[in-house]
Amino acid sequence: MSVTFQSIRFGPVEIPDDAVIEFPHGLIGLGGSRYALIDRNPGTGFLWLHSLEDPALALPVVSPHQFFASFSLEIAPEDRERTGIEDLAGASIYVTVRATPNPLDITANLRGPIVIRDGRGYQVINTSQDAPLQAPLFTLPAATTQIAS
Amino acid sequence: MIGDEILVTVMGVSGHTVRLGIAAPAGVPIYREEIWLAVKEENRAAAAAHADALPSQLPEPSTGQQTAGEQAQPRAADSEGSTGAPATGPAAEPNAAGGPSGEP
Repeated sequence: MSVTFQSIRFGPVEIPDDAVIEFPHGLIGLGGSRYALIDRNPGTGFLWLHSLEDPALALPVVSPHQFFASFSLEIAPEDRERTGIEDLAGASIYVTVRATPNPLDITANLRGPIVIRDGRGYQVINTSQDAPLQAPLFTLPAATTQIAS
Repeated sequence: MIGDEILVTVMGVSGHTVRLGIAAPAGVPIYREEIWLAVKEENRAAAAAHADALPSQLPEPSTGQQTAGEQAQPRAADSEGSTGAPATGPAAEPNAAGGPSGEP
């Protein structure tokens, strides 16, 4: 079984039933209750968290662990109670990304990660000390090194 | 009261600081407004991306030892002054040796 939804960015998108993620509380400030992760940039790690209800609503996300070695997620007790997520075993974590034409300006929001487990998703507040709202995905020295070598 | 489920009480006042207590059902998350608004703003900014806004191939991730931010991550006492490892600082400028140009 599959589900098809409309996207202003990608046209009709077909996904398997079990790819639908329920967001009981929506995303902060954006709402929405059903989303899916779709991979339009294979191999880059960038995914789109796309609303099934609003064809215009989609956010680029990445796995924080791919880009931030020291990423850690601490969830406040209220959030744990709200989400039912006591420990993160088996959960996938994504962070939203501000896309920009220059890759060096792309930032990820480590403060408000999205935790997905068992077909349910929650955006939580990361109470870790080291969780910038706009953490650069790429840094200049690393990029320069790569070009030079 | 806010609605019939959320109770806000003033816990104490000292000088210019007021301590508030908020009691709410488990399903209601409580955050300082600025964090909530900031995350909301990031969500909105992320959602504004065009379909082709993402790079089709990746520069080197900023993983490494460094955390992401260029600015003032309290990265503990990490610098052992060992041999290599010029990874810190704005590399690529062969600047470190003798001062730039005009020494008086």
